[in-house]
Amino acid sequence: MSKPQGCLVFDQAGFLSVLGVGHGRRLLTDMYNAHLTKDYTVRGLLGKAADDFCEDGKLVEKSTYDHVTREKLDRILALIQGSHQKALVNYSNLDLKTQEAYEMAVTGSIRPMNKSPMLVTGIRCLHFAPPEFLLEVQCMHETQKNLRKLVHEIGLELKTTAVCSQVRRTRDGFFTLDDALLRTQWDLYSIQDAIQAAAPRVAAELKKSLSLELGTQQLPNSDLSHESKGQTLP
Amino acid sequence: MRMALAALAAGPRLSRRVSGLVPGLGRGHRTAAGRSQGRREAAEAEADAPVFQYVGERAARAHRVFVWGFSFSGALGVPSFVVPSSGSVPRAGLRPRRRIQPIPYRLELDQKISSAACGYGFTLLSSKTKDVTKVWGMGLNKDSQLGFHSSQKDKTRGYEYVLEPSPVPLPLERPQETRVLQVSCGRAHSLVLTDREGVFSMGNNSYGQCGREVVADEVYSESHKVHRMQDFDGQVVQVACGQDHSLFLTEKGEVYSCGWGADGQTGLGHHNTTSVPTRLGGDLAGVPVVQLATYGDCCLAVSADGGLFGWGNSEYLQLASVTDSTQVNEPRCLSFPSLGRVTQAACGGTGCAVLNGEGHVFVWGYGILGKGPNLVESSRPERIPPSLFGLSPYRPDVHVVRIRCGLSHFAAITNKGELFVWGKNIRGCLGIGHLEDQYFPWRVPACCPSFPGDDARGARGCGLWSGSHGDPGQVLRLNPWTARPRRWIGDPCECPWPLPPPADV
Repeated sequence: MSKPQGCLVFDQAGFLSVLGVGHGRRLLTDMYNAHLTKDYTVRGLLGKAADDFCEDGKLVEKSTYDHVTREKLDRILALIQGSHQKALVNYSNLDLKTQEAYEMAVTGSIRPMNKSPMLVTGIRCLHFAPPEFLLEVQCMHETQKNLRKLVHEIGLELKTTAVCSQVRRTRDGFFTLDDALLRTQWDLYSIQDAIQAAAPRVAAELKKSLSLELGTQQLPNSDLSHESKGQTLP
Repeated sequence: MRMALAALAAGPRLSRRVSGLVPGLGRGHRTAAGRSQGRREAAEAEADAPVFQYVGERAARAHRVFVWGFSFSGALGVPSFVVPSSGSVPRAGLRPRRRIQPIPYRLELDQKISSAACGYGFTLLSSKTKDVTKVWGMGLNKDSQLGFHSSQKDKTRGYEYVLEPSPVPLPLERPQETRVLQVSCGRAHSLVLTDREGVFSMGNNSYGQCGREVVADEVYSESHKVHRMQDFDGQVVQVACGQDHSLFLTEKGEVYSCGWGADGQTGLGHHNTTSVPTRLGGDLAGVPVVQLATYGDCCLAVSADGGLFGWGNSEYLQLASVTDSTQVNEPRCLSFPSLGRVTQAACGGTGCAVLNGEGHVFVWGYGILGKGPNLVESSRPERIPPSLFGLSPYRPDVHVVRIRCGLSHFAAITNKGELFVWGKNIRGCLGIGHLEDQYFPWRVPACCPSFPGDDARGARGCGLWSGSHGDPGQVLRLNPWTARPRRWIGDPCECPWPLPPPADV
């Protein structure tokens, strides 16, 4: 199955997860090695800090948040994205003095192809209604604890505190919510159709991503991966 | 007060987990009744917990100045970089000197600085205050480009190097009413623009760059001479120092110049020195100018309707689009249809940059222009892809609002308050944490975010001045952000390359 992502134990909204069947299991490894980004919607709550950064965690501190405005939050998010942009390039081990590095920077396709800490490639605020705020985060090599910690640190930078109340994955690599099968669609025919519909995209994307790292590896026929919208997944 | 910290109840800071703060909250309950009791207790404890206030509702952002680059001339204004034993508290072991400051370092100043300029090994800072002290200088002072700074040991002698921001004495008639609007620095001279007493000049005058007659064998070191220029037709609204020449822009949109003219940088139709500010003609005659730019020996001017004019040195293709001549001594109109409306120009030693109405940056000239190592020279402006400044599907409204040039590097600030630099990294002048050249725009570490302001004050609170007349390579930035003095979050690698070991000399 897919590589362990850490323990995702959110029982509120569901989230996207990708499953592989048969040969698709090997493709999942390829997907993991392609170091694609994932999208999350993260809901935060201002005014509290908890030791595990969760809303129901042990309370550490409460603070005021009436000074926080949407503009300040947007600025913080822009800075976060900026500092992670630099980290993206640094962890990708590119020689920045080459024309190739410049061209990759222009298209925004620089990203690390090996282990790195969580890197945020995009972050923006979708909704702001103090004390609640909703963020859309595009990241890679994330763990859900890091995502919660991000909310905590956003709170610190806003000179208040924040905890995370919900994390929901909305995209995994090239699979989006549109591709997802609902619980009611978990039957053989729907699954088969979904696999076949996704197959060409899977092949193309994996080929593109892996060529960044390896250059010459041939990919086997890729027609066996599907996704579901469901609960926890190891 | 930077941080209004009013704890509504005494309690420790967030950084330490407090076990005693929320009493009775255990995790050992396993039964349903125990769990709900635990939750109830937790809710009660939470309601009772004290609320901390770190910042008031109307928190205002403080202005800061950051410096980086070569420090041994004193231009960064931090004495401990240059002379390790200085400072009020003697240290047990001497900290070594810091020849280069590779990332932005916050300068501790009480005053709100509104204008800053970097010269060749020296720096000027100014404030729009009505206090008596309005301008501070630091760095090289061998030509009295910072004015006279009397030595503590002997009041009749002046310092040749000023190691920390020190008040620059100006002979103002009404020191408590006049405001200083802008400062500018050249190779060995400086200009101070006031709102009602004209322009003051200090420093070397070997070529008339201070706007007064050249005196043979004049000794500029330890000089008290500060010259005032008021003979302009109208109020001067901008001053710009080139290497050894000076440009002045009046409210009527006319341009004056004086100083060294061998490359035609005075734009007066000849190649002689000029010691009195004289009005320019050429293609600028009758054209209202809104902005001037110069730093080396090439000059650019932006007109009110978005046109671009240039004169001076053209050895590096700066003006090659209109002439093959390498010295252009009269303003020429530079017509580049692809630019659109030009709003800002910046001129370095060998490169030029403009900003157009859409917030796009165009570069041309010679050197590291910002489009990778392959673009080394160009006589026509080339647009730098906006994605390099942070434009992305997540941020579709990012554009550049300010550009500046050093001798061989560029800098830009976006509307999101981010600073980007590129070019040759001479003695760490880029401030990106290492000493390698940078071939495309790169964010300066976000420990000094700069915000152009979210209201009508606009870009006043954030200024960017690129220095490096060859040696000093220091850059200043003003920053209206009251960040807590803490490492920046979320940056997994503060400095990817090892810092150069501090070397003596």
